[in-house]
Amino acid sequence: MKTQTLDHFQVIADPNRRHILQLLSKDSLTINSLAENFDMSRPAVSKHIKALDDAGFISIENIGRERYCILKQTGFVEIQEWINYFDKFWESKLKKLELVLNKKSNKKK
Amino acid sequence: MQKDIKHTWLLNSPPEKVWEHLTDAELLSEWLMKNDFKPIIGHKFQFYAKPVVNMGFDGNVYCQVLEIIPLKKLSYSWKGGPGKGKITLDSVVTWTLIEKDNATELTIEHTGFKGLKNFVGYFFMNSGWKSIIKKRLGDLLNS
Repeated sequence: MKTQTLDHFQVIADPNRRHILQLLSKDSLTINSLAENFDMSRPAVSKHIKALDDAGFISIENIGRERYCILKQTGFVEIQEWINYFDKFWESKLKKLELVLNKKSNKKK
Repeated sequence: MQKDIKHTWLLNSPPEKVWEHLTDAELLSEWLMKNDFKPIIGHKFQFYAKPVVNMGFDGNVYCQVLEIIPLKKLSYSWKGGPGKGKITLDSVVTWTLIEKDNATELTIEHTGFKGLKNFVGYFFMNSGWKSIIKKRLGDLLNS
């Protein structure tokens, strides 16, 4: 396969590459473990990874003997905000539930 | 980076009581939010919360019941965004109840935060692409 330069849209337009981003959004993975999720050859997966790396969607880092694909975090600021928000939200709602339940069981006594 | 939310709470009430408060729309609204929940798998419903403007959240949570095991487990999808049907939050909420001597250990897990659309959104906001391209990609991701 010849190397070609893709624009960002072309990079993300490919369903396999979107799938790679989705997998990496859950956890950083080695190229081998990423490849296990696809029916295509490892070189084909590597080519997609290279395209994502070139476009700045992911970075590849050597950790020990393995090469890990890591999603660049910048885009995840928003999700982190959601997670922080709902973390506190649920804690306060559980407290509220406890209050509501306790009030009701006290009434019965 | 934290990717999931999990809280466990010991409630001094039997699982039947706690389950009621998770699955009865009226009781649910007493402590969580106004809603039109029904304990039927596949039922689509909403929670109505306060908007959080700086986070791009219009206060509407769009849900669909995914799993019900009476008195033990309940899960639904949990989606939201800035309005006009745009979804930037795509996640799943799961409740688990365990009986402990007539009390209930209630666990909530809020998981599966999907990142791709947010990631792409961020990317676009910072690259100043023309709206037509955004639309092309939006259509594609929704297809």
